[in-house]
Amino acid sequence: MTAKLVKTEAVVEGRTEVRWTLVEEDDTPEFEDGAPTRPVGEPTPRISARARTTGSARYTVDVALPGLLEAVVLRSPHANARVTSLDLDAARAVPGVRCVLGPGEGPEHAGSPLTDAPAFAGAAIAVVAADTPDAAEAGVAALAPEYEVLGFVSTIDDGFEKQDFLEEPTEHVRGDPDAALSAAEVTVEASYAVPAQLHNSLEPHAAVADWREDGLTVWSSTQAIFDARSTIADAFGLEPDQVRIICEFMGGGFGSKFGVGPQGLLAAELSRRARRPVRLVNSRREENLAAGFRTPAKMDYTIGASRDGRLEAVEATAMIGMGTGGWPFPVLEPVKSVYACPNLRLMTAPVRMNLGPSAAFRAPGVMEGTFGFEQALDELAEKVGIDPIEIRRLNHTENDPESGKPYTSKGLLKAYERAAELAGWEGRDGLRGDGRVRRGMGVASQYWWGAGGPPAYAEVRIGKSARPTVTVGLQDLGTGTMTACAVIASERLGIPAGEITVHAGDTSRIGHGPASGGSMTLASIAPAVRMAAHSVRTDILGLAADMFEIAASDLTLEDGEIRSVDGTLREPVTEVTGKLGNAWISGSGSRGPNPDGMNVNTFGCQIAQIAVDTGTGAVTVERVVAVHDIGRVVNPMGARSQVMGGVLQAIGFALMEERVVDPTTGTVVNAGLEDYKVPTIADVPEVVCEFVGDPDPHLRMGVKGLGEPPIIPTAAAIGNALAHALGVRLREAPYTPRRVLEALGA
Amino acid sequence: MRAFGYARPADAGEAAALLRAGARAMGGGTDLLTQLDRGILPADEVVDLRALGLSGIEHDGGGVRIGATTSVADVERDAGIGERFPGLRQAAGAVGSPQLREMGTVGGNLCQQVRCWYFRHPDLQCWLRGGETCYAQIGDHRKHGLEPGDCISVAPSDLAAALLVLDAEVETTGRRMPLADLYRKATAERRSTLVLEPGEFLTAVEVPRAPDASTYVIAGERAAWSFALVGVAAARFGDDVRMAAIGVSNLPRPLDPDDPAAGLPGLEMTRWKRRLLETLASDARAAVGR
Repeated sequence: MTAKLVKTEAVVEGRTEVRWTLVEEDDTPEFEDGAPTRPVGEPTPRISARARTTGSARYTVDVALPGLLEAVVLRSPHANARVTSLDLDAARAVPGVRCVLGPGEGPEHAGSPLTDAPAFAGAAIAVVAADTPDAAEAGVAALAPEYEVLGFVSTIDDGFEKQDFLEEPTEHVRGDPDAALSAAEVTVEASYAVPAQLHNSLEPHAAVADWREDGLTVWSSTQAIFDARSTIADAFGLEPDQVRIICEFMGGGFGSKFGVGPQGLLAAELSRRARRPVRLVNSRREENLAAGFRTPAKMDYTIGASRDGRLEAVEATAMIGMGTGGWPFPVLEPVKSVYACPNLRLMTAPVRMNLGPSAAFRAPGVMEGTFGFEQALDELAEKVGIDPIEIRRLNHTENDPESGKPYTSKGLLKAYERAAELAGWEGRDGLRGDGRVRRGMGVASQYWWGAGGPPAYAEVRIGKSARPTVTVGLQDLGTGTMTACAVIASERLGIPAGEITVHAGDTSRIGHGPASGGSMTLASIAPAVRMAAHSVRTDILGLAADMFEIAASDLTLEDGEIRSVDGTLREPVTEVTGKLGNAWISGSGSRGPNPDGMNVNTFGCQIAQIAVDTGTGAVTVERVVAVHDIGRVVNPMGARSQVMGGVLQAIGFALMEERVVDPTTGTVVNAGLEDYKVPTIADVPEVVCEFVGDPDPHLRMGVKGLGEPPIIPTAAAIGNALAHALGVRLREAPYTPRRVLEALGA
Repeated sequence: MRAFGYARPADAGEAAALLRAGARAMGGGTDLLTQLDRGILPADEVVDLRALGLSGIEHDGGGVRIGATTSVADVERDAGIGERFPGLRQAAGAVGSPQLREMGTVGGNLCQQVRCWYFRHPDLQCWLRGGETCYAQIGDHRKHGLEPGDCISVAPSDLAAALLVLDAEVETTGRRMPLADLYRKATAERRSTLVLEPGEFLTAVEVPRAPDASTYVIAGERAAWSFALVGVAAARFGDDVRMAAIGVSNLPRPLDPDDPAAGLPGLEMTRWKRRLLETLASDARAAVGR
């Protein structure tokens, strides 16, 4: 098979990346219209379900090696300070302590994760590795740090006032917004604010590093094993092949676990120095102080429209509370991309604050921006007297409004129609009632990327027992990607998905696979797995053709059998593979580039029905109808799980989750799960989930991503439902009893 | 978690001696361990009181006696309590999660520490922990109490509210007193909301008679497993209605049924809680039929 280098564009969470990548020629036939695709498109239980539920799954924190040292980090209690005294020698003298790193120390070729100028409460100052966790804690206590405490900034307004930006504010203009706004028949001004949401992955950030003469192995809870490998290799001046990253199972990441993080760098440096394996695991408190957050934002919109509800111009500003680091995510993307609007001015100011570095969090920027803009749009609908779904249809666009490029596929209008049907949208005004408990229904649109792209490689092997293995260079952060890989291979090989072993999460096994993020993973790897499986299928059928003297084109693989299309031959596939002895048949596959000149996006809409008790301020989400276009659905059971998870995480954002920073000390007061509330199973509403997208005609296999889409519109739909129920609009999330009662005049 | 010693004596005198020496008392440990983990009221030794034979529920005439180390789940499950003291059963069912109710004890629940994210902050030493500042009053006190004072944390015990309106008495190793007297405002000299002396611990709680009706209503931060933002208990004996609330003061607080928010002005940031208290008080009152 010939391979060639191609240039390809991939959109990663709003940023376009151009890459050169090596791809092989792919002669795998596409699915034919109406032809069976099973088990692709049929519900398949997660292949790791038993391991995860019985506890046999090994997470990074479970890795135990002989001679393992435990590391504990000293963190600043102050929001901004200078360390004036630190007794590293006292820590080193504590029995059981094997290695201590202080400020500025770390891998030779990377910035140190340890500082003597902590700029947030929770910043890492030193790390102690010892024989036991108790000894490491004692070592940390012996450091006896002293501080000069400095002033700090803990609110977006204060940061803006100081004009202290993490990056220069940006302005984006389309058309002539000033003229269009002043000429607009109707204008609406609306402001919204969202707090920092903390990831709270069930599995904390963790790394186990084992430095040996012949190389370094790091077990890392990471969403990107290959990025982790290059970070470690660069930091220690090693060749990539000398570094092996392993991530067998993950308990979530939600965007906060790209790369190896400071845990990986510090564990590796401690292991290098101590010549012992080292484990470094965040406590829940450390997770909530120093492992990232969805950025808080204040959004202001001025919308100009025609009397009949057509958008003429939008001026929008977003002030984003970045903390001490991170990347300003596209909070105003929904204004730019979801609807046709000829004139825009979008201003974004990423403000520095004395809080930890922010991190991507499931649909970063876009989810918060959807919360604001989709509610502002409802305010416009109300002002011009148009139904909220109708105003969205009216402003629908068939091309990307920024570039004019067509979409490869767009099922948004179909999503509105189906969601309205499923939710009973027509009867929404009858829900309200006039008693103490009011009800409401609200809608919001969803826009995200999700094309995936190269490089992504897969290998499929089959040996004499006909139990295939699929090897992919990715990691499964809990989304079920590995199960989807088994499903895809199963369709080509005619062997049940449950009998297929998927190897992932190990950089030493195969070449590059996608990061788990940006709704890109499955869309990237799916065609590569199918191509590799098809190659194996072709070889098996070729051997069978010789053995049974029937043309390969008249043979097929189904239910573990080789069958002739005329039904005369049914032989177990082991009749062929059994002859392999210790040999095997293998096939490789790679992901090709996305089409030029077109945008690949996912779309959808959700409708939320809520009840609000006007006496207690309690908001209950009763039902969420989620209808999305994600192209071909590989595993509807996994896809539904993703939607449930996204909706529930958004309910947390809408109703209860909020990092609270003490104005007096600048420290986080709810950095734990007692006061930082996430939803429990009792908060789960009825979720009606449907996918309306056709397989994308411009993508191999027609698969688009799903990780982000379900979390994007839920909170906005809840906000719109709450306004519908109360006749009062709440402008700040989360909608706690306090905010509801205050909005009602308490 | 910092290392500590653990004792599980079978003899009350031994337990009392350890406590007098500075150990902390443990029932199920559901509150204590989270405190020790953060260095709140630290101790080198923990005394588990569950081997002292203090568990069990006895119905006697009209009343009920509940041993201090009886689990909250056992209170929730007890048929007699469910039948005659529905408010107490509701309060037990409102505690934490099923796992926490299995572990948590009645005595521990009544003696748990206040809720306040400053009191529970590992890096701050607030007034109640012996420091100089009530950080809550100068900081973010959106969930705090409505009663003015040196400390605006809130009492979290659902059982305390339900038992207060039943005129419950508590028995300790040294004395017997009305439940209301177990609590008192902390002072500059004595930074504790409990009256227990060193070495003294709860052995039982007794309710003398069943009410004609009782209830407990709670508003939390989510549908389950949340400390009460406000919890209100009510009981009616003939025409006499008693009410008490948690989440509004740093002690479980009796309420005037005719003016439940009296003496609970709140601050700008907590004014919403007055409305919540009024709603729940009205609901509770309606539930006991007056």
